[in-house]
Amino acid sequence: MYKAFGIVNSSGRNIYVDGMQDYRPIGAFSFLGRYRVIDFPISNMTNSNIDRIQVYINNKPRSVVEHVGTGRHYNINSKSGKLQLLFSEHNNDNDIYNTDISCYMDNMESLSRMTHPYVVIAPNYMVYSIDFNQFIHTHIDSGADVTLLYHSVDNAREAYLTCNVLELNRQKGVESIGPNHGNKKNQNIYMDTCIMKTELFISLVKEAKKLSSMYTLTDILNDKCETLDIRGVAHKGYFASITDFPSYYAANMDLLDYEAAQELFHENWPIYTRTNDSCPTQYFDTAEVKNSVISNGCRIEGTVENSVIGRGCVIKKGAVVKNSVVLAEVTIGEDVHVENEVVDKWARLIHKKEIVSPADQPGYIRRNDTL
Amino acid sequence: MKQNSMLAMILAGGRGSRLHDLTNKVAKPAVSYGGKYRIVDFPLSNCANSGVNVVGVLTQYESIQLNSYVAAGGRWGLDAKDSGVYVLPPREKADENLNVYRGTADAISQNIDFIDKFDPEYVLVLSGDHIYKMNYDEMLAAHKAANADATIAVIEVPMKEASRFGIMNTDETGRIVEFEEKPEHPKSNLASMGIYIFTWKLLRKMLMADIKNPDSNHDFGKDIIPTMLNDNKTLYAYKFKGYWKDVGTIDSLWEANMDLLSSKNELDLGDPAWKIYTEDVTALPQYISAEADVKDAYITQGCVVAGEVKHSVLFTGVKIGAGAKVIDSVLMPGAIVEEGAVVQRTLVADGIRIGKGAVVGSADSEHIELVAKRVKGAE
Repeated sequence: MYKAFGIVNSSGRNIYVDGMQDYRPIGAFSFLGRYRVIDFPISNMTNSNIDRIQVYINNKPRSVVEHVGTGRHYNINSKSGKLQLLFSEHNNDNDIYNTDISCYMDNMESLSRMTHPYVVIAPNYMVYSIDFNQFIHTHIDSGADVTLLYHSVDNAREAYLTCNVLELNRQKGVESIGPNHGNKKNQNIYMDTCIMKTELFISLVKEAKKLSSMYTLTDILNDKCETLDIRGVAHKGYFASITDFPSYYAANMDLLDYEAAQELFHENWPIYTRTNDSCPTQYFDTAEVKNSVISNGCRIEGTVENSVIGRGCVIKKGAVVKNSVVLAEVTIGEDVHVENEVVDKWARLIHKKEIVSPADQPGYIRRNDTL
Repeated sequence: MKQNSMLAMILAGGRGSRLHDLTNKVAKPAVSYGGKYRIVDFPLSNCANSGVNVVGVLTQYESIQLNSYVAAGGRWGLDAKDSGVYVLPPREKADENLNVYRGTADAISQNIDFIDKFDPEYVLVLSGDHIYKMNYDEMLAAHKAANADATIAVIEVPMKEASRFGIMNTDETGRIVEFEEKPEHPKSNLASMGIYIFTWKLLRKMLMADIKNPDSNHDFGKDIIPTMLNDNKTLYAYKFKGYWKDVGTIDSLWEANMDLLSSKNELDLGDPAWKIYTEDVTALPQYISAEADVKDAYITQGCVVAGEVKHSVLFTGVKIGAGAKVIDSVLMPGAIVEEGAVVQRTLVADGIRIGKGAVVGSADSEHIELVAKRVKGAE
């Protein structure tokens, strides 16, 4: 048996991606055309031989359930392995009660049945690659009670504003975990990813519940910084936190840089997703495509520049798509100019010919909308 | 899905030797096609989409890759209970030595025990190396309505080409009165597509007789169908309209890929109502770089294009370096064209690297060039 089981957690109430999140949790967001954000944490786990995975879903479960399903496509051993979808039982009207702790408490029975000595927790709203095997080993070898994963950034003033940051001492001991107030540019962003003994995790969940109905796992960990040995491990490579609308747009755009994409997609580290059996993409005589990531099943007659195009999109003659993230099954009609937009699934941009937002303030076109 | 009364047997043993080096290590049904598919995906997907849930795949020539490929029946959704893809290479039996399949009919005869296990009313016999989309359930309905012993799918071919095919001559009701293999003076233009529905009881009887006949070639076209006509059995032609291609040569495989570039392409692989399923590869979406120039092309996931691609089909994971030119060509999975190389009217085999600045193929060649070995470039 493997040492650790995995938990993929949903975002808490501090995080909201305007527009997109009205329709689905962040884990189910389309990412770089053919993926969903949740493909990254689950693939990281299965590639690290973690084959018992619990996926926690707070609300709007449909799209995550459809996408993740039995988890077979994540290369989980179909006999000894298992992926469980676990739901929050109480959807409280007042969002302050919808915490990760409340979701864990609702599923305490499933949690306490896990016999693995360790648990690795990762969020369904951050994109990165990591070998959890190494993370588990580092944690065990250090003798720490809890190890947290963080990423050092130098733009915390304008980005990562809904993330938490770690204050570390010289020995990489965590002194506190708290919100990023955007007052310092160099910060250690907490990747909401941690490892500890399963037993400790369950006792922390129960303790948090007793202390406050609003408490999150991060809150209780922050409380425990003095009494427990909590350490930080730095993550290197590509990291994106999909925790507000600008970060969703930026994360897709950043990966248009082929070199940056190499830092996320490693050889022998496949990112699995659910296949859609789309045919290849057809480029017509009039197509002009530059610096773009294109998914399968598209028909392109127009111009596409610096954009991410999802599966099965139709870009008609004379259409121009620039600096945009276009989700699956979108139609861009003849001579329609789209710039600096996130276009949600099934939208049809056909009547209005100019759909342009300012470069520093990308716009959002609603799912299934016709413009 | 409830199993219908028809079981399919796909003949996938052929080498396809006119495809030269492409079929050195794989059988023709396993040859790549259309960017992300293998030819055998077509009959398998057609079965899945037609509600034919049990499919036997008869393999023989270089079958390692094909066997493991088709055995993963889940790819085509053929993995539910009462459903499955069964790989059937020749085998040794308690009362017989290991016999190779001596012909298309013999391949079925040697698996009568397999078919009997499912006790189907009808058996659908298919070729594993044809590219087309067809609803076999509609063909079965025609077979039942005509109360036929056998129904053979036919396609109208231009009269001047009819002498290249097995031609069915029918009466006004569609009943087959005569079958002529490659007739010098064809009387009709209805070519057999090598797709047969047989009422199993009768076919079983005929195969049992055929297997003992020392003069037989054990072939459906040469033996079984003519015998049935002689015995005055009821055979009907089922007219198929649409795209159908038997890719026998490098030129025709290239052409079948090029057909996908036409906007009037009848095969329409994008039709959500009749998807062709295939292996799920974990490749990234395709990336077209800032300096690339892509026109009139069919490109699939995993490709990275930094050069010029015109009127070409790129399969999974193909890389085109900056300044390279790929024109009128088909690049099989994993092919790499390095910086400045020029590829014209060429079919590049799986995983082949065309070195920096190398030139292969030419714009006015009569035939398509096949490149199946690494081409060195300027080092």
